[in-house]
Amino acid sequence: MATEQSVDLVDDETVGLFTKAVLLAALTAGLAQLSIPIGPVVFSLQPFGMFFAGLLLGPLWGGVALLLYLLVGIAGAPVFSNGTAGIGYVIAGKTGGFLVGFLVGAVVAGAIAHRGIAPKPVADLSVPVQVVALTAAVAVVYAIGIPWMAVVTGLPFARAAALMAPYIPLDLLKLGIAIAIVQGGYLAGR
Amino acid sequence: MIEVSDLRYRYGDVDVLDGVTLSIPDGQYCLLVGPNGSGKTTLVRHLNALLTPDAGTVTVDGTDVTDDPVVARTRIGMVFQHPRDQFVAATVAADVAFGPENLGLDRVEIDRRVDTALDAVDLGDAAESRIDALSGGEQARVAIAGALAMEPDYLVLDEPLVGLDWPARQSVLDHLDALAADGTGVIVVTHDLRDLHERADRLVALHEGQVVLDAPPAEALDTLPDLGIRDPRC
Amino acid sequence: MLSYRPGSTVAHRLDPRSKLLFQFGFAIAAVAHPTLPWLVGTTAFALCALAAARLSPLAVLRSYRIVLAVLALAPFVAGVAPGPPWFRVDPALRSALHVGRILPVLLVSAAYLTSTPVRDTRAAVQRLIPGKPGQILGIGMALVVRLFPLVLADVREVRDAIHARGGEARPLRDRVRLLAVRSLERTLDRSDRLSVALRARCFAWNPTLPPLAFDRRDYPVLAVGIALAVSPLVSV
Repeated sequence: MATEQSVDLVDDETVGLFTKAVLLAALTAGLAQLSIPIGPVVFSLQPFGMFFAGLLLGPLWGGVALLLYLLVGIAGAPVFSNGTAGIGYVIAGKTGGFLVGFLVGAVVAGAIAHRGIAPKPVADLSVPVQVVALTAAVAVVYAIGIPWMAVVTGLPFARAAALMAPYIPLDLLKLGIAIAIVQGGYLAGR
Repeated sequence: MIEVSDLRYRYGDVDVLDGVTLSIPDGQYCLLVGPNGSGKTTLVRHLNALLTPDAGTVTVDGTDVTDDPVVARTRIGMVFQHPRDQFVAATVAADVAFGPENLGLDRVEIDRRVDTALDAVDLGDAAESRIDALSGGEQARVAIAGALAMEPDYLVLDEPLVGLDWPARQSVLDHLDALAADGTGVIVVTHDLRDLHERADRLVALHEGQVVLDAPPAEALDTLPDLGIRDPRC
Repeated sequence: MLSYRPGSTVAHRLDPRSKLLFQFGFAIAAVAHPTLPWLVGTTAFALCALAAARLSPLAVLRSYRIVLAVLALAPFVAGVAPGPPWFRVDPALRSALHVGRILPVLLVSAAYLTSTPVRDTRAAVQRLIPGKPGQILGIGMALVVRLFPLVLADVREVRDAIHARGGEARPLRDRVRLLAVRSLERTLDRSDRLSVALRARCFAWNPTLPPLAFDRRDYPVLAVGIALAVSPLVSV
């Protein structure tokens, strides 16, 4: 058949990175549906999606993973917290700016960890590099999320920051857990 | 004709395939059996260039599959274990269309192939159904339809019956019989021969990466227990 | 929760590309000016969009109630003052107007997602973004939608398994680590199987694109969407 001559197959390595990005987008969506209430604040598992996307996939494919997550939510799949969807939620949900922050955070974490587009094996990343990469990602999430929240709600910046401050130690705890997972060798060969 | 010649493949320190030579004529119904780790899955993944051999060759009608994976993957359709993880769309017809879309066919031809493939597995009425709402047996048939939409000459099924109840199993096997009767070559990889040995033309057993038995199923059954495979008659 | 409902309303019959652009244009316009007249105008506009999708505003409010409840707190937080008079009205009103802008955006996005199947948005993405990025994002969206329920079930199963083995008693850190590791392992196993299946089915950069048809009725919607997107540049 003549048409088959022109089929431009996606190369094997790209297929592997692509399916990981797809599954990490789905995992981010799945983790967003679980949260553990601790007193007045909620311990959300969503940031793990960003951490793993950056560490495992690097800036390009880690970014693709989080972008896919946002896109399917905008398209109407109930992937945001509490099964919500829609562009309105990305703009206005209490985590709206944070969703966009996760996307940029994954890119930043991936760029710092892998210093290039092609991801290295996670086992080759030193602990200090991982700590810097994930800390930068968390910083980016808040640097985008807090001003975004201030703009959406009309609150002064300082007050928006004060509202979000209780979540920062929790996110640092998650960061520690993510690094412990990598160090535990659970992701060897991935 | 699929021809496998002295195929070798190492993974880590293990010779997963240790010199396999085999030819499978068009239209044959062949069972590929062996205990876990015998190399069955690794062997079939070489047939359509999903794996690249360390040594040896696989050709389909004389063309080395690694030279033209598109032709290999079009002529040899493959259905894997865990059908739920190989679907690309939420609904049946959209999933079956994936292969033909990748071939760049026009919409009319894609629709024709999807209809034909779904008819072949008796799922014509389920075209718009959600795949997750189907039973395990129906999902296995959707996966088969997805391979058939490439209009392959051979259909390779890697453990297609795991986890299916008896009626679903019979239904999948009856559809395979019908395909074989229409001239499609069928290769079933399995470690469980129940209901299968009477349907096939040939049984090939692998052990530690080598072909240790190659005979019509009826003649092969007595030898199977020695190879760690349960005799399906017991 | 709101999700796609089959139908034949005006909104259902529009091309997803014009609806997407309209939606983005509207969101830009709605947040541009936190003033009362502008808010009234955009809300009226949003109600028209809901009417075009035959969607009840109350149904939308109900489905976004958690988001709305959180947003509704903002004016109170804004008004609270650390000393007398303890509550100041001006910042509270300012915050209320800001938060109010969001309501019409939520209404329009609800109209979009109840009238547009996800596969149409995916087709729009694949056609609007040329080349490899469009293919990756288009097919990627279809796959995420397909796999999300499976991964969610995995995550819940893992959580239940941890509970069943008395995980409650363990420190939070251990529970979260176990949950994340086990979920990630299952997810990556699915990724391995999916990538083999995609390759066997000739996953290509240049497939036949999903069919979409731009109709005459799409042009005015597109024009309004673009007009809305640039409306913040026009001073009111």
